[in-house]
Amino acid sequence: MDFEALWLTLRLAVGTTAILLVVAVPLAWWIASGHGVKRALVQSIVALPLVLPPTVLGFYLLIAMGPLTAPGRLLIRMFGHPLAFSFGGLLVGSVLYSLPFAVQPLVAGFQAVDRGFIEAAAGLGARPAKVFSSVVLPMTRASLLTAAVLTFTHTVGEFGVVLMLGGNIPGETRTLSISLYDLVQDGNYGAANQTALVLIAFAMVTLLAIYLLPSMRKVDGRQADIVR
Amino acid sequence: MSVSVPGESSPQFLKVNINHRIGAVSLNVNFAQTAPWTVLFGPSGSGKTTVLRAIAGFVRPDAGSILRGGTVLVDHASGVFVPAHLRPVRSAGQAARLFPNMTVRSNAIYGSGLTSKPADAMETVEEVMRLFRLQNLLDRWPHELSGGEKQRVSVARAVVSAITYGQPGAALLLLDEPFSGLDYAMRDELVDSLKEYLVRWKTPVLSVTHDVGEAFQLGAEVIRIAEGEVVQQGPVIDVLGDERRRLMGQLRAQA
Repeated sequence: MDFEALWLTLRLAVGTTAILLVVAVPLAWWIASGHGVKRALVQSIVALPLVLPPTVLGFYLLIAMGPLTAPGRLLIRMFGHPLAFSFGGLLVGSVLYSLPFAVQPLVAGFQAVDRGFIEAAAGLGARPAKVFSSVVLPMTRASLLTAAVLTFTHTVGEFGVVLMLGGNIPGETRTLSISLYDLVQDGNYGAANQTALVLIAFAMVTLLAIYLLPSMRKVDGRQADIVR
Repeated sequence: MSVSVPGESSPQFLKVNINHRIGAVSLNVNFAQTAPWTVLFGPSGSGKTTVLRAIAGFVRPDAGSILRGGTVLVDHASGVFVPAHLRPVRSAGQAARLFPNMTVRSNAIYGSGLTSKPADAMETVEEVMRLFRLQNLLDRWPHELSGGEKQRVSVARAVVSAITYGQPGAALLLLDEPFSGLDYAMRDELVDSLKEYLVRWKTPVLSVTHDVGEAFQLGAEVIRIAEGEVVQQGPVIDVLGDERRRLMGQLRAQA
């Protein structure tokens, strides 16, 4: 069991979840509050990591962060080293790769909020930002938690993007899933089994938390009190 | 279109001239509100709720204009469309959408403009809550209320918001079937006291109903809408006299 890899994995998952919630909440709210080609296009791009092999994303990020492209060279000048094969680069890759896992539950949650509540708030003079923070967000707490847990879990289980983008640097880019791969390569099946079991237990606990969640939905707009 | 033309006796609270198509109903509505409490009366499907929603800012009319006092809220020709929350208008919809994550008290002060003076705000809120017989429910949650109670909180919330908006009378109050779902005793009591209260606050009201009794009790000016058009406007006794006679005839026949 590689505890350095465990610690790195947790740091990566926490960082990715924190960044993604900040990015995904406004993005999901924008997607959920209308229709049209622009929104469909953005939603498709957000969902791409679900259907693409992670190696595709990893490959392009590697190129984009490397010295072959202008943005890559800019990043190298800014950080003094290539973003690829570093924790920062891994964080960027994870954020992109887990984007749909954060955005989709939020879009579904926001779309399920009865427009009547939003109109009621606006009819009382509430600015859109106030409507969102005081009415929409409290009604979609369950979706927020689902998005956070899915993002966290998915980041912990990520392999392809990490391998392409981070390689295998202990304490920097070697996550649990990479460590497991290494252990199997070395024929160390006992340690591999331990690592795999930790990953299974972790995924199981978080999924269980999500499926136990409906008890939280008492405050959800879907079951809120509506006359008639 | 000036509001205070010299010699013009009654003030103009609202001027609506809109065309809008929604589903099978084609709205072509043109009226001016000059009475402090005016009722839009018509059968369901006649478009009265849509008119109210257009004034509130939830429906963008296909054409036409809406003026509140001297302020243009909507003008299709010049592309003006003031967002709902910026209009000098406060509204309560047909269904009571109480925010489920807030108590009755928090719901009631949600749209209050008096947050700078919490003590004054609370006094006003409590006054309105007493008016609506809700003073004992302030710490309840929406899911603990009956349908009629929710309806009263919803209307009370809009009243608090309207009377605390700037100077008294600065906001127009829009109420969509405010007394539906209330038992008659409660409604009769509430209509009279609310009317008196809003006169005190100089707050004009445009409400929607299909209830003849309610319109008479309000003693309001009535704008009658049928199939998306204003067919008559005037004192309730003129506009709904036939309905009243028909109802009285029915009651006599029963006796």
